[in-house]
Amino acid sequence: MNEVMSWEDWLKGRRWRRELGNRVAPEVIQRRRSSSDRRLRKLFKGRRGLRFTPTEKL
Amino acid sequence: MNARKIRAAVADISADTDPTRKAAKLASLCSALFRERGVELVVVGGSAIELLTEGAYASGDVDLCRLTPAVLSLRERQEIMGQLGAQGGPRSWQVAGAFVDLLGSLESLARTPLRNLQGAYGVIQVAQPEELLVERVLVSVYPQPHPPARECAKKLAAVALGGAMQFDWKEVRRLATLREYRILPACKALVREVAHELETKSPLDSNE
Repeated sequence: MNEVMSWEDWLKGRRWRRELGNRVAPEVIQRRRSSSDRRLRKLFKGRRGLRFTPTEKL
Repeated sequence: MNARKIRAAVADISADTDPTRKAAKLASLCSALFRERGVELVVVGGSAIELLTEGAYASGDVDLCRLTPAVLSLRERQEIMGQLGAQGGPRSWQVAGAFVDLLGSLESLARTPLRNLQGAYGVIQVAQPEELLVERVLVSVYPQPHPPARECAKKLAAVALGGAMQFDWKEVRRLATLREYRILPACKALVREVAHELETKSPLDSNE
């Protein structure tokens, strides 16, 4: 638990983590609004952030 | 880190269109620059959950807290973030096509260690997933049911149950029982539900 995960291992594990989560909840669960909405939607052209990379492309 | 390296890092982060990887890189760069000034940062909240779960939950801001020191002057924050060409402050900056929020000192009751990820530019410290789970379960129930927090907690539990991160279920039980949380029954129910969906057993239902 104290070891440092390497960047490569983190990148490699992304799809596995996403797939586990997708088994119990929708793929995208970003909140629809928050107190930061104004600045987020201004920067991201009406969205609250960049589009998430689809699972199959992770 | 010299100015040339910082410029290259900011350019790399600005060009990255994957939100989770971009957030990780930005947290890594901020952590490295603050660390040079003796300040340790921790990724918290939804940003931490995103790095740990890939849950497609976080928005376009990276939430950071200070682990040490207890006080950091506004002048110093602005100088550090200024190295990145950041705009705004003194608690929130726009940089490299995202926002960085510096929320204050870390509040944590967890006894498990912060998780460490060797980021692209330096080590990223991430809040303990055990406490993140207990927090999300609490928020999913109080002050009233909150489905987004529940889905987030379910994804975190799934990644932990699936073995995709090191996780201490005894610590979850301890934290959930604390006076500050008092949420063990809801934690047990949520983890049981996720375990059922993953066709495994809930570690919170054993007597260990």
